[in-house]
Amino acid sequence: MTLVEQAFSSSGILAKVLNGYSPRQAQIDMAIDVERAIAQKSCLIVEAGTGTGKTFAYLIPSLLSEKKVIISTGTKNLQEQLYHKDIPLIRNAMATNTQIALLKGRANYLCIYRLELYVKERGQLDAAMLTDFVKIRTWATSTRSGDIGEIVDVAEDSGIFPYVTSTTDNCLAKDCPNFDDCYLVQARKKAIEADVLVVNHHLFFADMALKDTGFGELIPKADVVIFDEAHQIPDIASEYFGDAFSTKQILDLCSDVMQIYKTTLTDVKQLGRAAEKCQKAAQEFRLLFFHDPERGNWREKYAQPRFKQAFAALKTDLDFLYQVIKLCISRNEAIDNCYDRAVDILAKYDIMANVDIDGMSFWYETTRRHVVLHLTPLSVADKFSDYIAKSEAGWVFTSATLAVNGGFEHFSQQLGLNIAKTKAATLLVDSPFDYQAQSQLIVPRYLPAAQHHSRALALAELAIPLITASKGACFLLFTSYRMLNQVADILAEKIESPLLVQGRMSKGLLLAAFIENPQAILLATASFWEGVDVRGDKLTCVIIDKLPFASPDDPMLQARCEDVRRRGGDPFAEIQLPQAVIALKQGVGRLIRDVTDQGVMVICDDRLVNRPYGEVFLKSLPTMKRSRDITQASEFLTSLSK
Amino acid sequence: MQTQVMFYLLEEDAKHEQVAEQSHAHACLQAANFYRQNQRVFIYCADQQMAHQLDELLWAFEPDSFVPHNLPGEGPKNGAAVEISWQPPTNRRAILINLTSTVPHFANQFSHIVDFVPSDETLKQQARERYKGYRQWGFQVDNQTAPQQSKSINALQSS
Repeated sequence: MTLVEQAFSSSGILAKVLNGYSPRQAQIDMAIDVERAIAQKSCLIVEAGTGTGKTFAYLIPSLLSEKKVIISTGTKNLQEQLYHKDIPLIRNAMATNTQIALLKGRANYLCIYRLELYVKERGQLDAAMLTDFVKIRTWATSTRSGDIGEIVDVAEDSGIFPYVTSTTDNCLAKDCPNFDDCYLVQARKKAIEADVLVVNHHLFFADMALKDTGFGELIPKADVVIFDEAHQIPDIASEYFGDAFSTKQILDLCSDVMQIYKTTLTDVKQLGRAAEKCQKAAQEFRLLFFHDPERGNWREKYAQPRFKQAFAALKTDLDFLYQVIKLCISRNEAIDNCYDRAVDILAKYDIMANVDIDGMSFWYETTRRHVVLHLTPLSVADKFSDYIAKSEAGWVFTSATLAVNGGFEHFSQQLGLNIAKTKAATLLVDSPFDYQAQSQLIVPRYLPAAQHHSRALALAELAIPLITASKGACFLLFTSYRMLNQVADILAEKIESPLLVQGRMSKGLLLAAFIENPQAILLATASFWEGVDVRGDKLTCVIIDKLPFASPDDPMLQARCEDVRRRGGDPFAEIQLPQAVIALKQGVGRLIRDVTDQGVMVICDDRLVNRPYGEVFLKSLPTMKRSRDITQASEFLTSLSK
Repeated sequence: MQTQVMFYLLEEDAKHEQVAEQSHAHACLQAANFYRQNQRVFIYCADQQMAHQLDELLWAFEPDSFVPHNLPGEGPKNGAAVEISWQPPTNRRAILINLTSTVPHFANQFSHIVDFVPSDETLKQQARERYKGYRQWGFQVDNQTAPQQSKSINALQSS
């Protein structure tokens, strides 16, 4: 018996720390494969269905290996659960002295310099922000980690946080007077010294793509890298291997330069003038796009003369600003920082002006006030597999949702884990849940077509008996805000249950209110549920208005599809379908999270029944009891809420 | 081309409490077989309730035997591979599976017809009438014992 097998036996580590533990072969299989990947420094992809205990299955072999381990996960919440709960549990049972560390992104750490700056400058704050600011100052005197996640009584999305945390743009790095006390620097030091480091995907890939410079690489070389919630990483990786050029960066730079001109470098009149001019050009560039926020193809826009001209004008003004700042170099830290930013913005400008490169998607995204131009590689497979091949580490990719149709081609192809040098072993571990008994999958009959005017009414009328039967505890998820709001309006008139509607309050508040109020119905967009963890009878019914295919308007999706078409492939089968399958699997995973959970998933999209690709969905989803009879669902729900 | 009709003789099967269920299950299996051969199928039912039963049965098939199907008013413009209805067909298909007690007036639109002879006496008599009816249309009518499919039915149905 190996150490790992021993750990999972009925007299092993897990039995010591978990009440009522009994060995399960599925979990042991996964642990053994993880152990092998670590020993052989190879790659492993594991889909472990909900409830298999995948966390321990990778933690135990990792900790037993006594190597340097990095664990990357999807969200900050999961990071904290690993760091504060799961790892200490195993470490204590093993009685080792493994050093563990938690590292989050820059925006999660208090910036002492900016906090003090704010105290000095006394910017204009409204009452709510001022209250938050006072709370943060009080907390700042006692915190050891500087992790703003510790502050419980300030809303996560409070507008105050940008003023007390840093960005790569405004961080003074080694020139900072508070460098020695910097929480971020300290967290990074700990990360480098730790045996087991817990990060998140965004941080991992930002670091890998060297997007957060100023400190050099922050994630140390490791012998073992484990990605939990690995289904998210292809998208996150592409984001960081790309580039972005935003008018917000320009406007921020301009306002900082004007600030410097007004306070310290009052003699350089050109500073104020150049910044003002550049600011105007950036704002005018935004006005070329439609008023309402949208996404689209930048290559196509850039081919139009008026966009090309405005973009060229922006360059002239950026250059001028750069020249003026250059004359002031070394006069103070703040202007030097602006100089670096100007150089960076100009470099990004050049990238966005060179739209002829192949294999890249050039797209834009507008908000009310800003335009962001993006360059995203269509595939990260080459870069990522190179990185892995050079790393001399064992790599494990795990999630409850990686396989499509029982296979891993879709996932491994995206990351280059299907080619010889980084060929990954694969393992599919089934969930121990009895989905037949615990859950139902319903596709209602005779629903009006997606564009039909009676669709919202039909959805509401279908939902009402289900809501009544489940006594609340219901999610309604939509692929468009239009449908979401229409259904919300109809339901508000027809039922008593409290409605929680996305867009009318923040995501955090919505979820908290949902958990607090067992009668509540939550209406949200389809992307809402990823990362949502509601256990037990708090959530027994999920109604989805459409199969979660990505919007065909998404420029990144369009570019990828075009690329597949050029290679003679079928973009629907290779991209859209697998992606929707994973999204739906995620959704089912939110509904049934425990052996005792029961629930109904209603998908109001009969394409699942009448299109050949329905087979792919059914083969990929857990084997829930299927029906098309909505009254069956109501009866099942009634039996649960008794 | 002459329409070919195949009657399947259903044996008494203690497992099925209702004779109707037996023919429904066989109809689904036939539909699944034709779908695997890329044939488009029309399943003609006596009424909406029966159509819903068929719909429910096909939807509960194991994913490996998935059969895309629709009821009237659902699905893509020309219907899914298998259409279940209690109304006359609105699009052209090669295969008709008849679950009604009479010969449908549109039977000659199809090149193949599948029908059943249940073990119940009354239903058997109705089947004989249909047999004659098909002959009168000038169709080529054959019969065979339905394959012993109670096992495969159980294998196909997930519940």
